Amino acid sequence: MIGRERILEGLERLLKRLPGEQFELVYTGGRSDLTRYTRSEIHQNVSVENMRVYIRAALGKRLGVVTVNTLEEGPLLQAAKQAVELAQRQPENPYFEGFPSPAEYEPTTTYFEATAKFTPKQRAEVVKKVFAEAERLGFEVSGAFSTSTGEIAVLNSNGLEAYQPLTGVEISLVPVSQEGMGYADAFAHDVEKIDLEAVAARALERCSLNKGQQDIPLGQYDVILEPGCLAEVMRWLNLIAFRAQAFIEGTSFLAGKLGERAMGENITIYDSIHEPEAQGLPFDFQGCPKRKVTLIERGINRGVVFDLMSARQAKAEPTGHAGPPDSPYGPMPWNICMEAGDSSLEEMVASCEKGLLVTRFHYLNGFLDPKRAMMTGMTRYGTFLVEEGKIKHAVKNLRWTESMLRAFSNVRAISRKREVFSYGGAAGFAIAPAVYIEGFTFTGVQEEGAVGQ
Amino acid sequence: MEIKGWLRAALEGLRRAGAEYADARFLDCATESITVRNEQVAALSRDRDRGFGIRVLYRGSWGFAASAELAEPEVEAIAERALEIAKASRLTQRRPVRLDDSPPYVDTYRTEFELDPFIVPLDKKLELLFSALKVLRRDPRVRLAEGTMRFFKTYKLFLSSDGAEIAQEFLESGAGIQATAIQDGEVQRRSYPNSFGGNFAARGYEFVESLKLVENAERVREEALALLSADPCPAGKTDLILDSSQLGLQIHESCGHPSELDRALGMEISYAGGSFLTVDKLRKFRYGSRLVNIYADATLPGSIGSFGYDDEGVRAQRFPIVEEGLFVGYLTSRETAPILGKRSGGAMRAASWSHIPLIRMVNINLEPGEEDLSLEDLIADTKDGIFMATNKSWSIDDLRLNFQFGCELAWEIKHGKRTRLLKNPLYTGITPQFWGSCDAICGRKEWKLWGLPNCGKGEPPQLMHVAHGAAPARFRGIEVGAPRG
Repeated sequence: MIGRERILEGLERLLKRLPGEQFELVYTGGRSDLTRYTRSEIHQNVSVENMRVYIRAALGKRLGVVTVNTLEEGPLLQAAKQAVELAQRQPENPYFEGFPSPAEYEPTTTYFEATAKFTPKQRAEVVKKVFAEAERLGFEVSGAFSTSTGEIAVLNSNGLEAYQPLTGVEISLVPVSQEGMGYADAFAHDVEKIDLEAVAARALERCSLNKGQQDIPLGQYDVILEPGCLAEVMRWLNLIAFRAQAFIEGTSFLAGKLGERAMGENITIYDSIHEPEAQGLPFDFQGCPKRKVTLIERGINRGVVFDLMSARQAKAEPTGHAGPPDSPYGPMPWNICMEAGDSSLEEMVASCEKGLLVTRFHYLNGFLDPKRAMMTGMTRYGTFLVEEGKIKHAVKNLRWTESMLRAFSNVRAISRKREVFSYGGAAGFAIAPAVYIEGFTFTGVQEEGAVGQ
Repeated sequence: MEIKGWLRAALEGLRRAGAEYADARFLDCATESITVRNEQVAALSRDRDRGFGIRVLYRGSWGFAASAELAEPEVEAIAERALEIAKASRLTQRRPVRLDDSPPYVDTYRTEFELDPFIVPLDKKLELLFSALKVLRRDPRVRLAEGTMRFFKTYKLFLSSDGAEIAQEFLESGAGIQATAIQDGEVQRRSYPNSFGGNFAARGYEFVESLKLVENAERVREEALALLSADPCPAGKTDLILDSSQLGLQIHESCGHPSELDRALGMEISYAGGSFLTVDKLRKFRYGSRLVNIYADATLPGSIGSFGYDDEGVRAQRFPIVEEGLFVGYLTSRETAPILGKRSGGAMRAASWSHIPLIRMVNINLEPGEEDLSLEDLIADTKDGIFMATNKSWSIDDLRLNFQFGCELAWEIKHGKRTRLLKNPLYTGITPQFWGSCDAICGRKEWKLWGLPNCGKGEPPQLMHVAHGAAPARFRGIEVGAPRG
């Protein structure tokens, strides 16, 4: 941790030494530690300290961005000069109206000392206990346990100043038996909020169930998807549908269809930094306050997320979702949530005549036909046939190919309990419930098949 | 260079502290990325990224730490942290890591190029992209025209406690264009020379010029427009011909990744998965038909999958993975190769100074087939089939068996002729069955190398630059169709 004062003072000093053009400075940096294990043994164990300073110069409506990973004044001044040179050679951006003015932010709590102080030895001790429990069942464990401490700061020539520290902890446990695998994971800003014993118990229980996988005929089945499956689907919906660029270009299913029904009445999806399960950064990469954005409300298309420039292009209100200044993807939902329902995983299983319980999805792809949110993927870490309200047996991993608009129009139940999933760092996450979907399409099975010719 | 002395001293200190091995890498990387959309520069940035990483093996367990702060006390602190981490790893040790006896080298390596893209004026690059986009946008149904260029310049210094000292300089360039046509709720896309950023090579700006983006823009636009009114790809089993670029991705997902020995040993199970190519299958498993010969080749000039030495200081090599259809070789490291009784094949690569090296693909290439067989000959030789080109979607299971790929475009083939254009084509299969059904591969004249700068692996995720060479090939009795639902 460099600390608020040192970062802001350093950037302010730089800002004062820069020429007359408008500038925006964004600092991100911190330490990431990750312990990775396979076969109940740590095989990779790393710690990285890094930072990135984005310098965006504006000459009227011309913009140039240069990034460096140092806070030394010499390289920063050189980078600022390069940013001006890049801006000079660009055509005007008609949607740029200047950097934002200073703003007030709703405070959020994203930093926890206990996470920042967690050591490699503590991580090793935690996983060693899980390895011992797994060994009693004849399992070995793979997975990763990471902690991160970071800071983000935004300053611009208009006097805007924003700073937020954050921590994150994420653990995944994959018990492996002779017959199959289980899975459980957890993410939080505060390491003390994670019930490691419960996570381990879930993973081990799922591995115990995942044995003697049988073949089933392909086709449509009712499915009970655990929250991790939904988090992956929502990650793809962010990319193909809920970001400004896809909306403006017309490839999103929401383009030209705001106010129209896309999904069932029980589906509400939104982006929010103030949720009971987790909180997000109060500002975006331009220092604009993050607003709660309803993307789908009771199945109706309501909106996408914007930054200042994309909002102007779309003649919409900015929502405070600017990405890093060099991002080609533009604004994205960082904290996507699906509204909870009134059911539970156990009630869904009990109510299922015939269907499949899916632990996780694997290797999704949503580029098949974005207008219909067509996606494909595999099931992983335990897929189970449910009959007459009971789990009957495990089945082989299956390929599914499905329009998520159709699937989310056929949701019979949503769980009260939601889980938090990291989107690759402490700042981005998804909060997802478990869902029961009727008539989900399975198109293939994992098998080695006959040996080639 | 001061950093070299600091790193050398840190490695010596680690030896004195009881480490049996340590290595250090310092990297200084420059990147330029340009994205233009319609009439706008959507993103234009330059990045400079410098830092060092120290990896230490202490009593059979690994530790790694890295930092961007280039100062002597920081180098000392990071070396200490790497050792502390290795000691923590040791708490769970079951089988101590032992490295092979690969020799340490003192050497240099440099990419050959003609024109440094970092000194080519920005105006010239933007003019090339906007000229191509102007052609793409001549029809208003092309709602989104996009062009990208990316350039990478990397200096890499590797030092090891065994005495290795290797300095390598890499230069890589890539570019591509894309037209997205939209009409009546239908969205169709065509890309050139490849989707998701185009093609990449370890060459200078002359590579970008050789792509002839402007000259190809009209065809790209017309194909995107034609797809708007094309029929969906019919479902069923048929003979499938893949173009060189899609075959490159097929090799990547279904041969490259499963032949990584760390994956086969379960080291990636908790992330992207394992491999059906388990160690017991080596030299026994029929991976494909006898026509299928796939090589790992890190020595190929001009490719982003090439280097002089890997990130363990092992010299670049060429060796077979599949020979006449038989699975014969893995991509290996100094830690894993001894399990097979071998020395490392030189495939340990790290995405940056801040990452540990992992077993990664280099250039994984399908050898060309019959010398004179062209793509048109192959189509003419196909009675009833589908020709698919340019990747659109990709998915494969956690053992690399069940895959499904979508392509941008397909042609129906009847009696040796292309009869109608088809949209949204998908094909699916099981890896060994699929490669077992390969009955024809085009000749060297059709063989092309495809650079992919975004191969993901590991936790924290690393993006690696790899490449695949292939000529179009035919596969019998493959399940094809269009997405339903």
